[in-house]
Amino acid sequence: MDNTPIVAFEDAGLAYGSEAETLSDINLQLFPGEFRFLTGPSGAGKTSLLKMIYLAKRPTRGRLHLFGEDAVAAPRDALPTLRRRIGVVFQEFRLIDHLTAFENVALPMKVAGINQNQYIEDVSELLNWVGLGRRMDAKPPTLSGGEKQRVALARALVTKPDLILADEPTGNVDPAMSERIMKLFVELNKLGAAVVIATHDLHLVQSLGKSALTISDGRVVRSSGAGG
Amino acid sequence: MNEVQTNINEVQTGRNSRDHHGKNAPLLPEAGAGGAPLTAVIAVISFLAAMALAALLIINQTTSAWTASLKSEATIQIKGESAEAILAQTNAAEQYLNDSGAFSKVRIISDDEAAALLEPWLGNNNVAAFLTIPALIEVEINARAGADLSTVYAGLVDVAPGVIVDDHSRWHDRLSAAAQSMQSIAFLVFALVLAAACAVSIFAARAGLAANRDIVSILHLVGATDAFIAEEVQRRFFLLGLRGSLAGLLVAMVSLGAAAFTLRTSINASNFMPEFSLNATLMIALLTVPIIVCLATAITARHTVLRALIDEY
Repeated sequence: MDNTPIVAFEDAGLAYGSEAETLSDINLQLFPGEFRFLTGPSGAGKTSLLKMIYLAKRPTRGRLHLFGEDAVAAPRDALPTLRRRIGVVFQEFRLIDHLTAFENVALPMKVAGINQNQYIEDVSELLNWVGLGRRMDAKPPTLSGGEKQRVALARALVTKPDLILADEPTGNVDPAMSERIMKLFVELNKLGAAVVIATHDLHLVQSLGKSALTISDGRVVRSSGAGG
Repeated sequence: MNEVQTNINEVQTGRNSRDHHGKNAPLLPEAGAGGAPLTAVIAVISFLAAMALAALLIINQTTSAWTASLKSEATIQIKGESAEAILAQTNAAEQYLNDSGAFSKVRIISDDEAAALLEPWLGNNNVAAFLTIPALIEVEINARAGADLSTVYAGLVDVAPGVIVDDHSRWHDRLSAAAQSMQSIAFLVFALVLAAACAVSIFAARAGLAANRDIVSILHLVGATDAFIAEEVQRRFFLLGLRGSLAGLLVAMVSLGAAAFTLRTSINASNFMPEFSLNATLMIALLTVPIIVCLATAITARHTVLRALIDEY
């Protein structure tokens, strides 16, 4: 495993507006190829921690390095490059309603300036794999919760990112699809992608035997498990 | 990744992916950028811009024609104690003017023409019988000769002491000043209308960003640069601007065509109203209006978005 962490928090904290910190004293490192669960009760700060990693929220205190770069001090035009190395499955999916499933999945490719001919096969195959081969032209408002989640998953994976973040990725799918999704995460992890999955499903954590970070009241209180 | 791809390839195959080749939907929904209302506003703005530009050009063309005519002619009046003295001076002046080579045409206004000119004031009488009417010589300046006209006119006094030269400069200067004022006003209107287009674009771009804040956030999170997002907005505004400005231009051209037709067919108006038609110069100038409006709206929208996005993480 590489010695340079791809995610490194140093005494980081996050506050929304003038309220008390949602996350405090975060000291955490994630190395290439690691697989970690992020557990804790609802409202503990799992999603907020992920938001800082995928650069939706800037730490209000402390430092954050992503792929060796200071993500807090990085110039604005450096952020897209960092974000393109991260695939995110959002808890609330965050699909664009007026685009089709195909266009939603292809979005990271399109914004990276990749020619459509180069990604058409990858996008189609991913959508086929998540069971939406016949729903490529469907728009999110016509998709079920599970289908939306699978589109969101495909979008996160389509660029083959170095770091995959998933916020409750199996929350809206049936057990069989849940198992398939988790196997895909494990396979991607074996191929070198670091994976962080936020979940409150302890059964899921135990079943894969991966290490877990537990967050409670805005602090990382425990690190446990087999490791990546 | 190859393993994953192999895994992926093993699972079900749906419809052929190439069905999606033609898909290239805009990332920001049309309604977010104002859509039809913005197109209508830009159409009105373009109409006003086209009319202001047309006014500018028509004034320019008309005054150029008028002033060129005024500058190329002069009227020489010769007074005297008696009709005989006037005739002698007139003949001498005509000879002098012809010999000077500064004029392409020297013509003595006949007594009948002079009487016709005075008729509105003195009536249809034999005015020459009881009034000593000054003689008039009409000259057309030969610009190619390049003669110093002030010297020529100064020398005229030697052969015709009672001479008064009207080179129309008084009228020319007044007309030029009036035309310049009107042109300045037309240009100001044109500039203000364009500024209004920019202001509308700023409001619409901000409203569009506010309405699509979530989409913009998603685009950022999947790695879009500010320039990419701004380009999306710019493309949208360019198309809206093009649609609206072409509609405005069409209405403006129809209005100008109707005005030109009315002026041409109205006998009374043709005596004092400027003559104009939708000539090539005017058409080409008008065709720049949609281009200018499109660029103004699109570039303004782009800058508005870039400025607004700086505040985001």
